[in-house]
Amino acid sequence: MNDLKFTIDHQSVGDVKLLKLQGYLDAHTAPHLESALGNLIQEGSHKIVVNFKELDYISSAGLGVFMVYIEDVRTTGGDIKLSEMKPKVFTVFDLLGFPMLFEIVEHDQIALAKFTA
Amino acid sequence: MVATIKPQTNQISARGNTADLEIIRGFVEHQAHTAGFGETDAYQIALAVDEACSNLIRHSYNNDESREFMVTIEVANEQMIIKIMDNGEPFNPLSVPEPNMTEYFQKFKHGGLGVFLMRKVMTEINYQPAKNSKSMNILTLTKHFI
Repeated sequence: MNDLKFTIDHQSVGDVKLLKLQGYLDAHTAPHLESALGNLIQEGSHKIVVNFKELDYISSAGLGVFMVYIEDVRTTGGDIKLSEMKPKVFTVFDLLGFPMLFEIVEHDQIALAKFTA
Repeated sequence: MVATIKPQTNQISARGNTADLEIIRGFVEHQAHTAGFGETDAYQIALAVDEACSNLIRHSYNNDESREFMVTIEVANEQMIIKIMDNGEPFNPLSVPEPNMTEYFQKFKHGGLGVFLMRKVMTEINYQPAKNSKSMNILTLTKHFI
């Protein structure tokens, strides 16, 4: 999809993949994230940090993308950790109880450190 | 044709295309700010409308962008009343049972959280299916000022 309203910047830190999201994540743009995560996992990457600093909006479609892959990555000893959410974005995760299942941290460094601990 | 906002009115017509969700959210959030809601409430009201419209576009309209629906907003009596009107197969979101999130996470389920979010952020939700082929289904989302 060619949609500048949602972009993903890919970086690698050791064997951890860092995805920086920008824009908004809704039913229209969520498929873009779903295929990006799917490709990473298919290529063998199971340690993933998703940075939300530049993400202005998320709906349940966006949250649903993480649910699609979390079981797979954890089965192989990896994880998807979420970092640097704006308060209004974090509230959506919190309303649905996502902190029960996902590690949501304030900075990428915390998530990266947990992968190497 | 993309979603169109009638100038100086409080209604927007949109297509059965998820690309219009952004326009709908912008319209709703602007109206909420004008009505006096703070940033968090305005975001959450737009989120609830997004969830309702996403379900409508994907499930009721099957992403058919030739089909249209309408969102109207009224502010009165210390509340904001949003109506989403469509002519698809009736679907009452209140018929969707509330998920048990502990079980949801234990079983790594996905999908079906949009209605749950709507219920959490809006004060009232009401659904009226169309009475006949010439009338519309109406989903009413209400947010009270606190």
